[in-house]
Amino acid sequence: MQLDFATKEMTIKLVYYGPALSGKTTNLQALHAAASGDSKGRLMTLDTRDDRTLFFDLLPLSFEDASGLKVRLKVFTVPGQVIHSSTRRLVVQGADGVAFIADSRVAETETNAESFVDLRDNLEAHGMLLGEMPLVIQFNKRDLPAVRPKDEVAEMAQAGREPVYLAIATQGDGVVETFLALLYQTWKRLEKEHTLSEKFGFDGRAFIANVAEKLGFQGSIEDVLAHAVGATSLGEVGE
Amino acid sequence: MTPDEALSLDQLAIEQKFELEDLLDKGSLGEMCRSFESLFELPVRIYSSSGALLADTQGVPSLYRYLEKAKAGRRAVQDVATGVRRAEPLPGAPVLIEGVPGVLYQASLIEHEGRSLGRIILGPYTDDSQNEPPAALFDLVEELAGEGIAQEWANLPSLSSLAIGRLERHLRATLELLLFSGLKAHMASHMHMASVRESFRELSERNQKLKDAYERLKELDRLKSNFLATVSHELRTPLTSIIGYSEMLLEGIAGEVQEEQKEFVETIHEKGEQLLELIKSLLDLSKLESGTMSLHKVATTGDAIVKDVVSTLTPTAHKKGVYLLSASEADLPPMLADPERMRQVLINLTENALKFTPKGGSVTLSAVHKKEAASDMGGGGSVLMGAVRRSVIEFSVADTGIGISDAEKKRVFDAFYQVDSSSTREAGGTGLGLSIVQRLVDGHDGKISIEDNDPQGSVFIVTVPLKKPPTT
Repeated sequence: MQLDFATKEMTIKLVYYGPALSGKTTNLQALHAAASGDSKGRLMTLDTRDDRTLFFDLLPLSFEDASGLKVRLKVFTVPGQVIHSSTRRLVVQGADGVAFIADSRVAETETNAESFVDLRDNLEAHGMLLGEMPLVIQFNKRDLPAVRPKDEVAEMAQAGREPVYLAIATQGDGVVETFLALLYQTWKRLEKEHTLSEKFGFDGRAFIANVAEKLGFQGSIEDVLAHAVGATSLGEVGE
Repeated sequence: MTPDEALSLDQLAIEQKFELEDLLDKGSLGEMCRSFESLFELPVRIYSSSGALLADTQGVPSLYRYLEKAKAGRRAVQDVATGVRRAEPLPGAPVLIEGVPGVLYQASLIEHEGRSLGRIILGPYTDDSQNEPPAALFDLVEELAGEGIAQEWANLPSLSSLAIGRLERHLRATLELLLFSGLKAHMASHMHMASVRESFRELSERNQKLKDAYERLKELDRLKSNFLATVSHELRTPLTSIIGYSEMLLEGIAGEVQEEQKEFVETIHEKGEQLLELIKSLLDLSKLESGTMSLHKVATTGDAIVKDVVSTLTPTAHKKGVYLLSASEADLPPMLADPERMRQVLINLTENALKFTPKGGSVTLSAVHKKEAASDMGGGGSVLMGAVRRSVIEFSVADTGIGISDAEKKRVFDAFYQVDSSSTREAGGTGLGLSIVQRLVDGHDGKISIEDNDPQGSVFIVTVPLKKPPTT
């Protein structure tokens, strides 16, 4: 995160991580489509000829808080292919929050796990701990056959600390919820570390409600958290 | 920018550390602006945020040249540049500047995600509602009596405020697209460099780790050799006593020994000798490995060694019912070798051959003089090295035994390796012989190889150079 006290600007870096072809770029595209005109910048994709992400995608979003604090969100994806590990390490550096996009198909179980370990290793390379990183997991591609059943995902999700969402990114389902939950997790962490409410009178909940509205989401952050698979009690996820 | 000064992704994407000049090609920008001017007849200037002029389609308008003829006019024209430079447009809010009376400029901001990167200046132009030069303009050129000023005025482009707004938006949108592409390319090239650097760092780190591991293994290997040497030495001392005292017992020094006791003591003595041989081999191996075995090289003839080995091992061959033959060339040139160690090499190979040759088979030893190309010593440069042919003595031990498979040919020289390592194998031995042979041959700058014997069995070939090769 970067804070500019002079211009009252805060820049937050969010990273979409996950195995190759799990739908990270599609998530960003859906998010870009959902965002209203004045809050989104151009979606930058650095891809190869066959539309595979080469370095990263970058979606800039900007919002203004009632306190006057300008919040810029820079949402990145990483290239999923195994060989791009060094690029992933570069992109994930300085991340404030991570959304892990997993492929729901049972056959992809191991690939998901490998990518998650890769995330942990790449964070550790920068002296960051996965356990301390604001994290949201998305099980994408729910529309495909042979996916892990929701009950199973829910059962496993309850064992973890992070909110888990189901999504069909190609149709935009679950994309905004994942993003808002990630934003919420990230805000909680930043608030704890930087006491933004004290320094700027920054109201995180109101801010997220504002972002939700700009992204066309009907409901409060509690609704978002309640959407998580296996969510036990409202607002308690990820504490 | 040197690679070390390259910006990180965050510096580019989060802190937005880049200038308009980094993202746009100055030449192409100028061309685009000229094309814009030729289409809309409206001059364009583009400044970066640092104030550098990146594109300028306008020369000095003829009106200004006209005004400069008068003193007040000259001052007014000079002030135009300052006025334009001082204009401070806000994001989305262009500023209108009046240059000389009635002549307009519009300044607008080029921004990227809230950060100002530069300015666009459109003009000079006149408002299309103003058909004639204003009176204030005539005042500037009083002494010229206003002649021709209307003509110069008419030469300036005339636009409505609506039109100028549309043109500005169009130009800004085009510029921002160029900027976006530029930024994308800029980031991609930075990422590319950063990725390469990161991969390089990673590989260097791994190389270092491998190097460290290699050093550690070398050290361990050295320790192992030392340990082997020490232990062998320590084992030999008490064993010498065992052999010595059993010998004395057999000689009856300690009194008469019964027949059965004698048999037992003989077994102790025999096994003791076997054990001593084994320990000696181990000691040899460790000495060879640690490089502490010194070879006493003198001028030696190959056929003499062969004869000696044949005569030494003939009783063994006889006992086994195997023919031991020698087929050496006469008048071999002398070679520089340690005769005792070369003899050990051939004894080892021949004993092995006898061990694996069944009754009625044969083992043939030979020594011949040969010239071989030195290029296959490795190290390349075969065009040079191939021309140098070195003289070698080639020893061979051919048997008609069970033979060695191709896969095993590579491994038989490893210490303790046995082709048949099952506990019930027919042939005994420690598996040290060939690895000692290999090291002794190495010590003579020689080579050892295994070929198949026709129709059955193996041939061990040892070549030893007559002189030291030029590369060592």
